[in-house]
Amino acid sequence: MPRALTATLLLALLVLLYAMPRIAAGEPYALHVLVLCFVYAVPAVGLNLMLGYTGLVSLGHMAFAGIGAYAAAVMMVDAKIGFWAALALATLASGAAGAAIGLVCLRFRSHFFMIVTLALGLVLHSVMNNWDDVTRGAAGLGGVPRPAPIELAGERYSFGPLANFYYLALTAAVLVFALQRLVVRSDVGRILSAIRQDERLARARGVNALLYKTAVFALGSAIAGFGGVLQVSFLRVAAPASFNLAESINSVLIVIVGGAGSLAGPALGALLFVALPEYLRVASEWRLVIFGVMLVAITLFAPRGLAGLAADLVRRIAGKTPQERA
Amino acid sequence: MTDALLEQILNGLMMGSIYVLVALGMVLIYGVMHVVNFAHGVLFTAGGYLAHFFYTRVLDSYPLAIVLSMVSLALIGIAIERGVFRPLSGNLRNQVIASLGLILAIENLLVALWGPNALQFRVPTTETMVSVGELRFSVHHLGIIVITLAMVALLGVFLKFTRFGTAIRATSQSREAAMVVGIPVKRVHWSTFAIGTMLAALGGALIGPLFLVFPQMGDVPLIKGLAGILLGGMGSVPGAVAGGMIIGVVESVSTLFLPTDYRDSIAFMVMVAILLVRPQGLFGVRMRGED
Repeated sequence: MPRALTATLLLALLVLLYAMPRIAAGEPYALHVLVLCFVYAVPAVGLNLMLGYTGLVSLGHMAFAGIGAYAAAVMMVDAKIGFWAALALATLASGAAGAAIGLVCLRFRSHFFMIVTLALGLVLHSVMNNWDDVTRGAAGLGGVPRPAPIELAGERYSFGPLANFYYLALTAAVLVFALQRLVVRSDVGRILSAIRQDERLARARGVNALLYKTAVFALGSAIAGFGGVLQVSFLRVAAPASFNLAESINSVLIVIVGGAGSLAGPALGALLFVALPEYLRVASEWRLVIFGVMLVAITLFAPRGLAGLAADLVRRIAGKTPQERA
Repeated sequence: MTDALLEQILNGLMMGSIYVLVALGMVLIYGVMHVVNFAHGVLFTAGGYLAHFFYTRVLDSYPLAIVLSMVSLALIGIAIERGVFRPLSGNLRNQVIASLGLILAIENLLVALWGPNALQFRVPTTETMVSVGELRFSVHHLGIIVITLAMVALLGVFLKFTRFGTAIRATSQSREAAMVVGIPVKRVHWSTFAIGTMLAALGGALIGPLFLVFPQMGDVPLIKGLAGILLGGMGSVPGAVAGGMIIGVVESVSTLFLPTDYRDSIAFMVMVAILLVRPQGLFGVRMRGED
C-alpha cells in the first residue's frame, strides 16, 4: 500500500476513534466495549514486541501487568498517591521487575524459557492471590479511584463519565502503539528481528543478544504494567483472576490471531477477542472454544495472523500476486 | 508425630504417582518429538471428565470407565498429533502456541458440556477404609500408588524389551538414524503421543474421585509433572518417575512445617533454582535438543 494512503487511512481511523463518544453518544455499551479493547490491546503490544518481533514466547505475560496493576492500586488506595504519579511509578516497577525476572528467564532457551516464564507467572499470581495484607487476596483490592480531574484549557475535566475515561484509554493505547512503531522501525527493532531470525548469527555479528532480550523483556513488562494500571482504574478493582495463566494465554491469543510481528496485530487481535463475541452474543465458554480452535488454525494455515491476511487481501486487490513469506 | 509424618508420606506417594503419570507422558512425547506438550494438563482433565461420564452414564464399573477413558484419550491424542503437531513439526514456537490453543479449546469445551462447577465422582474404593496401626486411609490411595507403579513397570518392560519400545527409544535418540534403519518414525510419533495422553487420562480418572472433577484439575499436575521432568533431567524416563515422586512426597511432608498457601510457589521456585544450578537435573542425564 502506498505510504500516503496508509497515513490517510490511519488518520481517518484516529479521527473516527476520537469522535466515537459523539457518534455513539446514546450507546454507552459500545464505548465500554471499546475501552475494554484498549485495555486488552495495551499489554498485547508489550507481548508483540517480545513474541512477535524478538521471538520470546512468554507464558506469564499478564503477571507483569498484574505487578503494575497491584503496585498502582496499593499506591492509590493505601498510600493515597494520585493516579498520574501511581501510573508512572507502577509502569517503572513492572519494567524493573521485568528486567530482573527477565535476566533469570533469559538464561534459558526455547522450552526452558517457556517453562520458566510459566512457572514465575504462576508464582506471581499466587503472591497476588495469597498476600492478604497487601493485595487483599482472592477477593481483590477494591475502591481504586478514577484519575483525579485535571484542568484542561481552563475547564475542569473529570474522568468519572465513561466518555471521558474513553479518551484517556484511547490516548494511552495510541501512545503505546506509537511507541511500538518507534521501537520496531528503529535500529533496535532491526536488531530484535535479527535475534528472532537467527540468534547465533546475530551474536556472531557482534550483537549483545542477552542485553537486547533483557531490554525488550523489561519494555514489554513495563507496557504490560501500564495496561494493568489502565485496567484497574477502569474496573475500579485489582483482582488476581485478571492476571492468571488463562489471561496470559489470552494475551498470546490476541497477539497471534491479530498477527505476531505486525504493528496493527495487537489492535486487530484485541478487537476480535473483545468486541466480536459481545456483538455475536455467544456464551463465554463457546467463545473461548472458538478462539482456541482459531488459534490452532492460525498457526497451521495463516501464521501471520489477521494482519497478514489483510495485507494479502490488499495486495490482491491492488492486482499483485501475494508474496509468500516464510 | 510419626503418624502424621507417615500419613503425609502416603499422601505424597499418592500425589507423586499422579505427577508421575503426567510426567511420563510428557517426557515420552518430548523424547521423540522434541516438544513440550503444554496441553497435557487439559488432556488429564478430559480423562477425568470422560471417566466420570462413562461411570455415571454408561456403565457401572469404575475400572471399565477408566479403560474407556484411556482409550478415548488415546484416540484424541492420535488426532492431535496428526492434525496439529505433525504439520507443525520443526517449528517449536508454533507447536507451543497451538498447544495453548488446545488448552483454551478443550478446557472450555468441557465447561460448555459439563458446566463450570466441580462434579462429584463417587466410587466404592474411596469409601472402603484400611487401617494400619493408628492410620486410616482409603483403598483408593493405595490403588493409585499400586496402579502407577504397575504402569511404570509395564512401560519400562515395553520400552526395554519389545521391538516397538526399542523403536521409540531409537527415535528419541536420533530421528534421522532411526529413519535410516527403517523405523516407521511417523508411527512411532503418533503411538508415543497416544501412550502419553492415555497415561494422562489414567491420572485424571484416578484423582477425580478424591478431589472432584473440575475444569482446572489438570493445571497443577501439568506444572508439577513438568517440575518432575526437570528435576529428573529432561528426557529421562526413570528421572521423570523419581522426580514426580520426590515432588509429591516433599510437598506433602512440607505441609507439616510450612503454610500451604505458597506450597506450589515454593515447588516452582525450587524448579527454577534447579534449572539454574543443575540444568541436567538431579540425576545427571544430558539435555537434548537444546543448545
